[in-house]
Amino acid sequence: MKGYASLVKPYILWMSLFIVVPMLLIVLYAFTEHGNALMAFRFTLDNFMRFFDPVFIKVLFKSLEVAIITTVLCIIIGYPIAYIISNTSERTQTLLILLITLPMWINMLVRTYAWISILSDGGILNSIFEFFGLAPIKMMYTDFAVMLGMVYNFLPFMIISIYTVLAKLDRALIHASHDLGANPIQTFLRIVLPLSMPGVISGITLVFLPAVSTFVIPKFLGGGQYMLIGNLIENQFITVGEWNFGSAISLIMAVIIMGSMILTRKIDRDASDTASVEGGKLW
Amino acid sequence: MRKLIEFQNIVKSFNDSLVLKGINLSIHENEFVTLLGPSGCGKTTLLRILGGFISQNEGHVYFDDIEISNVPPYKREINTVFQRYALFPHMNVFDNVAFGLRIKKQDKNTIEQKVKKMLKLVNLEGYEDRPVTLLSGGQQQRVAIARALVNEPMVLLLDEPLGALDLKLRKEMQIELKKIQQEVGITFIYVTHDQEEALTMSDTIVVMNAGEIQQIGTPTDIYNEPENRFVADFIGESNILEGVMLEDYKVKFDDQVFECIDYGFEDNLEVDIVLRPEDIDIVPIEMGRIKGVIKSSLFKGVHFEVVVETPYREWIIHTTDKVEVDKEVGLHFFPEDIHIMYKMGTY
Ligand SMILES: Nc1ncnc2c1ncn2[C@@H]1O[C@H](COP(=O)(O)OP(=O)(O)OP(=O)(O)O)[C@@H](O)[C@H]1O
Ligand SMILES: [Mg+2]
Repeated sequence: MKGYASLVKPYILWMSLFIVVPMLLIVLYAFTEHGNALMAFRFTLDNFMRFFDPVFIKVLFKSLEVAIITTVLCIIIGYPIAYIISNTSERTQTLLILLITLPMWINMLVRTYAWISILSDGGILNSIFEFFGLAPIKMMYTDFAVMLGMVYNFLPFMIISIYTVLAKLDRALIHASHDLGANPIQTFLRIVLPLSMPGVISGITLVFLPAVSTFVIPKFLGGGQYMLIGNLIENQFITVGEWNFGSAISLIMAVIIMGSMILTRKIDRDASDTASVEGGKLW
Repeated sequence: MRKLIEFQNIVKSFNDSLVLKGINLSIHENEFVTLLGPSGCGKTTLLRILGGFISQNEGHVYFDDIEISNVPPYKREINTVFQRYALFPHMNVFDNVAFGLRIKKQDKNTIEQKVKKMLKLVNLEGYEDRPVTLLSGGQQQRVAIARALVNEPMVLLLDEPLGALDLKLRKEMQIELKKIQQEVGITFIYVTHDQEEALTMSDTIVVMNAGEIQQIGTPTDIYNEPENRFVADFIGESNILEGVMLEDYKVKFDDQVFECIDYGFEDNLEVDIVLRPEDIDIVPIEMGRIKGVIKSSLFKGVHFEVVVETPYREWIIHTTDKVEVDKEVGLHFFPEDIHIMYKMGTY
C-alpha cells in the first residue's frame, strides 16, 4: 500500500496551485493598497473599512435575509416532500429522486434563463393569463422572482439531504414507537423529526451557503438594481476593477459563512445531545 | 381461563413465498405461551401480525372476541420486546423506558418511580443517563425488556428477549420474567430458540416449522408425547426410528417385535417411533432386548452420553454410570418408553 502514497503527490500539487494559491492571492489583495503591481504592495486595512458603509451593510443584510428566507422555504417545502418520498416503495423512491436531481444536470444559468421566459412580461405565464382574459402581472425583477429562482435552484439539495437521512431511518423504531402507544403524529414529533435533524442541518449548509453568495439568480431575475453581496463582489472584480475591495468583501463573507457553519454545527450537536445519531447502530 | 387472543387461519406471504400457512391458535388470559421453532419458520412474523405492524393475507385475529386486524398498533393493548431491540438512539436509558408512560401522560413522579423500579429489576440501576447507543448488547436487550414491561400491558410479546445475555444473567432474568408474569398477571407470548428455556418457563409450547404449527401442548406433553418426528427431533435429544404398528400394543422395528402401550393405529401402518436417551438402560448383554457395541462415551456434566452401535443404527443413551468403550452390551427399555407417532403428512 505504501507505494501508492506517492500517487497522491500530483494531486496535492494541483490542489495547491489551483485552490490554495488563488485564495492566498485574495488575502493578499484584501490587505494591500490599490494597484496591480504585485511587487509594490503596501499593507492596509482600508479595504475592510470601506465596507462599513451603510450602503454596503444594507446589501449584506439583504443577502442574509434572502438566504435565510430561501433556506426556511426550502425546509418547509422540502421536508414534506422528502418525507413522502421516503415512504413510497423503493422503486418509486429511485424514480422520484432521479426526477428531483434531473434539473441539477443542467447549468444554473440555463435554468435561470428558462425562468425568464416563463416570468417575463410577454412570457409563458402572462400569455396563459391573457388567454383566460386576466390582466398581465409584472413578475420579472421583483422579490418574488428572485425568491422563486432561489428556492427552485436550491430545493433539490434540501430534499436530497433530508431524504437521505429519512430513507436510512430504521422502520423498527417507528414500530417501537407505535407499539408503545404513540400515534403517528407523536411518533413523527418524538422519533422521526429529531432523528432526521442531521439531514436538515446538512440541508441548511447546502442551501444557505450558496444562497448567500449567489449572483446569477439576483442578476437575471432581480435585474440590475437588485444588489446582493454576490453581485457586489462580481461588480468589484469585473465592472469596477476594484480587486482589492472585492477581495476584502469576499473575505468578510467567508468569515460570516464560517461563523454560521460553526453555529449550525453547534446547534446540531446540542440538539442530538450526547447520543450521536451516527453511532446509533444497534449492535 | 378466559380466551384472550385467537388466530384464525392466518396466512401470510412475502413476495410469493408462503411464510405462514394457516395458523390456528388460541391464547388465554395470563398464559405463558412459547413459540418454538427453527430460524425462519415464521415466529417473528406471527408476532408482528399480532402487534399490528404487518397484516395477514388471509384469516382473522381476535382480541377479547373482537376482530383487531384493522386496529392500528398504537391502539392495541400489547407491548413488544423486539428481537433487535429497536431502542431510540437519540434518547438515554431513562427516556427510552419512560417513553410509553409519557405518551400516556402519567405524572412525572409516577414515571420516575416506575422507571427506577423497572431498571432495578433488569439490573440496570444507575444507567438512567447513559445513551443507549453506548450500551452492550445484553444491556440494550434489558432496556428493551424494561421499556415494554413498564407499561404493564395485558399482553407482552417477547421475541427472543434473552438471546444476548450470558447464561447466569439469562437464568436470573428467566426467573424474574416468570415472576412478573405471574404476579402482574400478564399474558406472555414468548419466542425462543432455547428449548430448555421453553420447557421450564412455559404453560404452553407451540412448536412451529416452515409456517405451520406442529404441536401445541404443555411442556411435558411436548416432551413425552411428541406428535411427530419433527417435534421429537426438535425438543430434546431422541432416538427416532421407523417401524410398523402390527396391531394395537405391538410394534415392529429393527426386525424385532416389541410390546408397547399405544393403540388405535391402523394395523400394519408405517409409523415413526421415539425413544428418549434417558429411558434406555445399558444392561449386561444377556438381559438386553437389543444387543450392541459401545462406540463412545462422553461426559456431559450430569450424565454420560453413550453411543451404542447395532447392525441397524446408532443409539444415543444417557446414563450416570461409567461404561467401557468397545464392550458388547444389551439395551433395555419398558413398553411405556416406546412412543409411537404417525409419519408426517399422514395424520
Ligand atoms: N419483510 C419481509 N420481506 C420478505 N420476507 C420476509 C420479511 N419478513 C420475514 N420474511 C421471511 O419470512 C420468513 C419468516 O421470518 P420470521 O422473521 O418470521 O422468522 P423467525 O421464525 O422469527 O426466525 P428467527 O428465529 O431467525 O428470528 C423468513 O424466511 C424471512 O426471510
Ligand atoms: Mg424472529
